[in-house]
Amino acid sequence: MESPAGKRPDNASLKRTELNSRSSVERKQLSKRILARVRPFAPLLALIVLSLLIGAVNPRFFEFRNIVRLASSAAIPMVLALGANFVIILGSVDLSVEGVMAIGSVVISLLVQNDRNTNAFGLWGPILAVFAGAGIGLLNGCVHVSFRIPSFMVSLGVWFVALGLATFILGGTTVRVVDPAFRGLALHYFLGFPLAVWLALAALALCWIIERFTTVGRYMYAIGGGEDLAILSGIPVSRVKVIIFTLAGALYAIGGMLAAAQLGQAQALIGNGRLFSAITAVVVGGTALSGGEGGVLNTLIGVLIISTLANGMVLVGISPYVQQAVQGILIIVAVALTLDRTRMKIVK
Amino acid sequence: MNSSNHGPGQSIRRRTFIRQTAAFAAGSAALTMLPRRGLAASTPTVVNSIRSLSNPYHATWNQGGQAFAKSVGAEYVTLVTEGDSEKGIADIRAMLEKTGGNMVLNVDPNDSPDARPIVESVVKAGAYVVTQWNKPADLHPWDFNPNYVAHISFDGVRYGHDTADALVKAIGGKGGIVALGGILSNTPAIERKAGLQQVLDANPEVKLLDFQVANWKPTEAHDIVSAWLTRFGDQIKGIWAANDDMGSGALEALRAENLAGKIPITGIDGIKIAVEAVKAGEFAATVSWDPYWQGGMGLSIAYAAKTGKFDPTKEPKSHREFYGTGALITKENADEFYKTHMATEPTVDWNDLWGRVTGQIRQA
Repeated sequence: MESPAGKRPDNASLKRTELNSRSSVERKQLSKRILARVRPFAPLLALIVLSLLIGAVNPRFFEFRNIVRLASSAAIPMVLALGANFVIILGSVDLSVEGVMAIGSVVISLLVQNDRNTNAFGLWGPILAVFAGAGIGLLNGCVHVSFRIPSFMVSLGVWFVALGLATFILGGTTVRVVDPAFRGLALHYFLGFPLAVWLALAALALCWIIERFTTVGRYMYAIGGGEDLAILSGIPVSRVKVIIFTLAGALYAIGGMLAAAQLGQAQALIGNGRLFSAITAVVVGGTALSGGEGGVLNTLIGVLIISTLANGMVLVGISPYVQQAVQGILIIVAVALTLDRTRMKIVK
Repeated sequence: MNSSNHGPGQSIRRRTFIRQTAAFAAGSAALTMLPRRGLAASTPTVVNSIRSLSNPYHATWNQGGQAFAKSVGAEYVTLVTEGDSEKGIADIRAMLEKTGGNMVLNVDPNDSPDARPIVESVVKAGAYVVTQWNKPADLHPWDFNPNYVAHISFDGVRYGHDTADALVKAIGGKGGIVALGGILSNTPAIERKAGLQQVLDANPEVKLLDFQVANWKPTEAHDIVSAWLTRFGDQIKGIWAANDDMGSGALEALRAENLAGKIPITGIDGIKIAVEAVKAGEFAATVSWDPYWQGGMGLSIAYAAKTGKFDPTKEPKSHREFYGTGALITKENADEFYKTHMATEPTVDWNDLWGRVTGQIRQA
């Protein structure tokens, strides 16, 4: 990145003949450059402005207790959005979130202490649940890659398969999770925050490392930016896709586990409505649905915007009759601020 | 790996695969259809059409249907709409076709408008139907004699009122409460909220601090209750929820803050988790519709009409369009209810067709 100061003499020399219009052109370019600088921080600014607005109406928003509540309501969307985020950077879409969550919650609830059987596998429960989720993600990726079916369709199918499987396992009923250690994820606090929040932060750190410091992370952006070019450059596109879908599946299963810990129960419909909020958070954070752009930290901001909005609506006392409309408007505003749309030729 | 994906070999293999899969699916579908034809001629097939088997409410409904079918020795079929009205109607028509009209149907239509095409198809095929919960206000069983036997619903105003009343008693008749509503346009959500309002009007010392919509979902209720704790703190003395799922989400939000059992909650539906919470003193009350009864009795009424045990045209209107009886479950009767309805399979007298009628449905 060049500094604006270093670029200015160069521009000036090019336009020496147009002395009259020079200053206005320069000013326009300068403001454009500033905008380009600020734009990546637009979601963060939106989050800050939103928080200040809510805090102005109800100062309790900034109380530590509310920050804890906000963080714990953001933990599950965070883990889910991390998975969705990677797949979207690839330029694909994964709709299987709610199905994999169902499997994750059902598997964990039947393996730790519950009211249905006498299992108490302790730490093996979460491990097997994550493996189950990763397995479904692997299936997603393999079918998508080897049969060359759009990820949209594959993951839609896998969503229903997973949901059907979870329904079949439970026979449509609800399992209560009574394992105190497992429920501790939502009920035990460390340094003031529930363990679920720390787990979500750990997932965030892991994903950030994958994105920044691994080959898979770099290839992911290359594929999302232009898959044909990535293939020509010898990037193992199929392998990277399968890895990312597997990782996403594991993350959704963790989301399902956290939901089971939070609600103390598992059922097939535990993920109901989570797909939409996960993808919304990713997009609001500034990751483009077209792929190749955005990242883990964007998604963190996106999740915080969505959670702050939900928390703020109640704190400010906005009538439930208009909440959806307010939410919709704010999402459009956030996305409009986020991306530089002047350079886009086509918008679909 | 990537370059081989573009070869012609790949696409041919895929096409063959799809063809084989399709052939297999068609073959197995044909196989399952064959043996059932013969049975259909004798006893009517009994069919439940419900939203899904993924929720505890309809899963229990289905058990009731199975129990009734077993009691008369009829073949039992469950159709699920999965929230898709078109699928629901098409499946019912296919079933009417398959049985040649020799069937009885107990249906919880996916949406109110669906009831009309369903009833019309049933009448045309000469089968018998009982609808529950959803139907257009101007569609009446007595306009489709004798095939449209009855419509069963539950009085949302009354039970919204009863649970709110139990909540007010639990908080000692005064203080602030918060309320969680269902999807705004749903009739039960509107009715139950009206019942809550009646209680608020009758108890001026109870103040409704806020009303929020959690769309029937526990997760949404959980986050709303967390935010309420920030906004109102210890002003909240009780939480009214329009269904048990939202109530259970509220309970877990309280538990995370060590408040479970200290702030009473009420729900509606009578699902297992809620009844257990009433037993544990964490819920003040819930109402059970007894989906086991709904799943079996809807079939039993239609079956009795179909087999000539009674003549629907001679029944009063209060038997054709009626409110069933919900059971208010509080600390006093929770243990007993749990024992008879949850710990063991409930016992229902399927011949007691009108035992739970509590009046004709109000005409809007």
